[in-house]
Amino acid sequence: MSEPHTMSAARPPEGAKAPSGGSDPHAVGERGGHMIPKVLVTKIGFDGHDRGSRVVAAGLRDAGMEVIYTPPWQEIAAVVKLAMEEDVDVVGISSLATDHLIVPKLMAELREAGLGDIGVVVGGIVPDEDEKALLDAGVARVFHPGSAMADIASFVRELAGQVRARRVAL
Amino acid sequence: MNKAIDSKLLHEPDAYGAWQQEYAATIGTDKQVANRSGVPIKPLYTAADWNAADRASDLGVPGQAPFTRGIYATMHRGRTWTQRQLIGLGTPEEYNARLREVLAQGATAISLLPCNSVFRGYDMDESHIELLGTCGTVINTWEHMDAALQGVDFARTSCAQNDPTPFTLLAFMLVAARRRGTDWRQVSGTSNQSDYLSHYVANHMFYRLALPGARRLLGDHIDFCNRHVPRWNPMSVVGQHMQQAGATPAEAMAFTLSTAIQNARDCIERGMDPDDFLPRFTFFFDISVSFFEEVAKFRAARRIWTRITRDRLGAKDPRSWRFKFHGQTSGADLTRQQPLNNIARVTVQAMAGILGGLQSLHTDAYDEALSCPSEFGARIAIATQNVLREEAHLTDVIDPLGGSFYVEKLTDEMEAEIERVMKIVEDAGGMYQAVEAGLVQRMIGESARRFQQRVDSGEQTVVGVNAYQVEEDASARPINTRPDRTTMQAHVDGFKAWKAQRSAGQVQGALDALARAAGDARDNVFARVVEAAEAGCTHGEICSTLRREMGFGHVQAIV
Amino acid sequence: MKREPGFHDKAGGWARAVLAGERGAIARAISQVERGEREPAAVAAALAPHLGRAHVLGVTGSPGAGKSTLVNALLGELLARGRRIAVVAVDPSSPITGGAVLGDRVRMGEHGAHGDVFIRSVASRGHLGGLAPTSEAMVDILDAAGFDTVIVETVGAGQSEVEIMRVADTRLVACPPGLGDNVQAIKAGILEIADVLAVTKCDLPGAEITARDLKDMLHLRAAGAEGSWQVPVLGASATTGSGIGALADAIAAHAAAAGRGRRLHARQPVASAGDNAVGERVKQLAAADPFLRWAGIRCTHADRGTATVEVTLQPHHINFNGTCHGGIVFALADTAFGLAANSYGVIAAGIDTHLTFQQASHAGDRLVATSVEVSRSRKLAVYRVDVCKGDGVPISSFTGTVYLTTRPHTV
Repeated sequence: MSEPHTMSAARPPEGAKAPSGGSDPHAVGERGGHMIPKVLVTKIGFDGHDRGSRVVAAGLRDAGMEVIYTPPWQEIAAVVKLAMEEDVDVVGISSLATDHLIVPKLMAELREAGLGDIGVVVGGIVPDEDEKALLDAGVARVFHPGSAMADIASFVRELAGQVRARRVAL
Repeated sequence: MNKAIDSKLLHEPDAYGAWQQEYAATIGTDKQVANRSGVPIKPLYTAADWNAADRASDLGVPGQAPFTRGIYATMHRGRTWTQRQLIGLGTPEEYNARLREVLAQGATAISLLPCNSVFRGYDMDESHIELLGTCGTVINTWEHMDAALQGVDFARTSCAQNDPTPFTLLAFMLVAARRRGTDWRQVSGTSNQSDYLSHYVANHMFYRLALPGARRLLGDHIDFCNRHVPRWNPMSVVGQHMQQAGATPAEAMAFTLSTAIQNARDCIERGMDPDDFLPRFTFFFDISVSFFEEVAKFRAARRIWTRITRDRLGAKDPRSWRFKFHGQTSGADLTRQQPLNNIARVTVQAMAGILGGLQSLHTDAYDEALSCPSEFGARIAIATQNVLREEAHLTDVIDPLGGSFYVEKLTDEMEAEIERVMKIVEDAGGMYQAVEAGLVQRMIGESARRFQQRVDSGEQTVVGVNAYQVEEDASARPINTRPDRTTMQAHVDGFKAWKAQRSAGQVQGALDALARAAGDARDNVFARVVEAAEAGCTHGEICSTLRREMGFGHVQAIV
Repeated sequence: MKREPGFHDKAGGWARAVLAGERGAIARAISQVERGEREPAAVAAALAPHLGRAHVLGVTGSPGAGKSTLVNALLGELLARGRRIAVVAVDPSSPITGGAVLGDRVRMGEHGAHGDVFIRSVASRGHLGGLAPTSEAMVDILDAAGFDTVIVETVGAGQSEVEIMRVADTRLVACPPGLGDNVQAIKAGILEIADVLAVTKCDLPGAEITARDLKDMLHLRAAGAEGSWQVPVLGASATTGSGIGALADAIAAHAAAAGRGRRLHARQPVASAGDNAVGERVKQLAAADPFLRWAGIRCTHADRGTATVEVTLQPHHINFNGTCHGGIVFALADTAFGLAANSYGVIAAGIDTHLTFQQASHAGDRLVATSVEVSRSRKLAVYRVDVCKGDGVPISSFTGTVYLTTRPHTV
């Protein structure tokens, strides 16, 4: 199968300042509301087309997030282990062929490991009927080819904020 | 705007001057235009850009070096391009049914696409059942191959197999052929994905053995086929993956030619004569929607390949100089938005490949960007080729764009750009070293980023995506067909039962011989793969043995 | 690998979970340090009795030296020797956007999924010196969690190599092979700190020359405070596996000879619970402060670079909304800041502060502010202060910078 047209690349938003943790020595870490989302971008299943996921990983970095990027063909157990050790806020799955069909399996294993609060988004080729099933399984959003990088970044940031807020409330 | 040109070359210098003035006065803002490979494109080309009288030898005639106009004297007028549609789905029986339909609709050759689980080297009982057979056929044994190709005469129909190293699908086919009484010397087709370097560069599906092991296995494969399956093309050098991953057309061609040189050198080092293996080298390219650029790319490639084979590799047989290639319309240009527009795109891409002189063509279905293609979409894809051949009569004239000032000049410029990139690879020590060092991957990543920026900024329009968008009715999208779960479960159960009744001693003995061959540089690993297939070993067993012995190819992730 | 049900973020509970080796707790604790939700000093204090069991290996080198690949090969070797290993892999953050792609972990993919391996990727976040100061606390957490070896792998440019001195027991520096100019390109400071030198990709041409050049350079170096430890120069190839065993042996030899626990000796002692001379001094300063008397702010603890103050909110501290007036919160944080900054015996003058209000507090609440030193150079020092209610609920975060004079206090 060949890879379809993918998403736009990122540009830092107009007038963006370096967030804290950049060159500002007075605001080390994430005090004062400057949350730095930690996002995993990965592919599970068999497909290896990763042009889109690389573009998204770079785009999220350019939007000020910390991205763990893995190559394709990750085992579900390895993704769960990584998510736990890295304490990610959001897991982004890139799926070109039909690998999204095992995303519910991934979500079940995340829940079993006590990581059910992590946000999950899926990007790639997902037929409409499958999209509904994914959302019902708890996926926060499905991004189709042609999605603007700015939209992806702002959704992921907001989702990460919600995930963090839920954790603090524990 | 236009640089001063040598007016002696123009037939009508005064008229040209007048055109220049009128153009400048009426054009308004004249944007600089460049094609995907970065070659600047002017509004008008004339004899000053390319003069037939001076360039006759570079242009040549069809069927003779440097083959710019085509590798055969008759080209498509003598024998139309092979309509080789890539298909694969579900179980072998389901595949066979679809195959027969496609052959009845006009396809003239077969290209078998296995399931992604097969690409990754796994058997069906090691894989998530949800993912089996969704985009390719699940074939794990020689019996499955036999069932998939029921009713196909191997001696008459060319069958391309799309698995990478260690080429178990060909091994299964050879076993099936032997059982049917077909002489291997009559079997024809191509190992379509034998280019391990392109798989290393652009990850896609295939990635099983570490680089040195993959290199060795390719050599063994070529050697074996030369000796025992002489009508088989064991070497298909693949440019498709790299162009899909973001390489410009010129880069993709340059990297592909560099890979071909690398593989040829490896064969020569094994003691093979270039004329023994070069005639069976074929190429596999992506065809983008950048029409003229693609035509020029292919014409330039034929010229460059002639010089490489004849002058650098020392091949004496003219058949060694011929640049044979299969083209696939590029899925990377297709969109999910307004998917029917993809039919127009595929038509333009197909035309570019045909006028570029390909030998065989696959046209994508319009719903490629939505899901694995449907039967409905596949039918239109084949019909597109039929229309171009029989209604538009694209087979009537050989190299019809030859002599066009633009096309010839662009061919020159693409040739220069291709050679420029080839030199970068050569300076890095050749394609193997350049890939090992990550140089090629980085260059492709850069091109991908640049293209993305052009789409982002609107400089490159993508209809329906960044321009001409409409609100779409989701019900207009085709229904997705997935393999029936019960049928697939039965296939898996049947496979397990089949494994249980094999001779364990025979299977283990064959796998041990395979493992020993991997460690013995004098043995031919592919020959042992064929023997293992004959002994009833499964695809997964063969792959995991070699993965263990020759090392697993780890992925470089360069963002 | 499950997180314990009922895992809470209360003070003390997190330490127990970390000591029990619970993966989820370890990960969360590291996050809290990274995000500034828990101070490195507090981490060290809570885990103090359990530190020093792990051998901490710092790995650095110029970019392109193949550090991650080398670490991956070492992981394989250590796993074969039955060790449990944690890795902290540091990648640079973009100075423009503040984001990062953390890709080191990818190169350790082969062993990353192993149950005895724990990998955490960290962005440098532009901290001066490259390596995040919080990495020390992360190492403490992993040490206390029971890993035998903790590997810290860093970006290979600038000051970070020097920072490793503080974090690691044994320092491994990786150099790629090449002609002599590769060695010249290595910053001179690297050789000062290296305990073991590895020439990577030693199957490639140039490795011999590089190894020889390094040995020559070592001879010129005066014997360091380490005394008798001879820095070995070893060739290693991650792809062929050659030299990895010898490298692991050399690292173990250094650990036995001089390494293990060295990083803890190098630290400033953690503030003890009891009174001390510095603490007394600082309390005297507080007692001499008219504003503190007037505001009702008391200093309960102090030591070099740290101070804890508290106030119980009275009706006159409250604003028209019925909550604590921001000025009092500021005064509390600023007091902790000022006392800590002035704990060295010279006058430190505040020049810049930043405060955020996170939660409201009310009359009757006891507010506690603890300040910790983030950095100190010849002229400037930076402090961070946490203000909490007595039960631990965070009220406010404060950061302040002082200018250090050379004049002693007159009190």
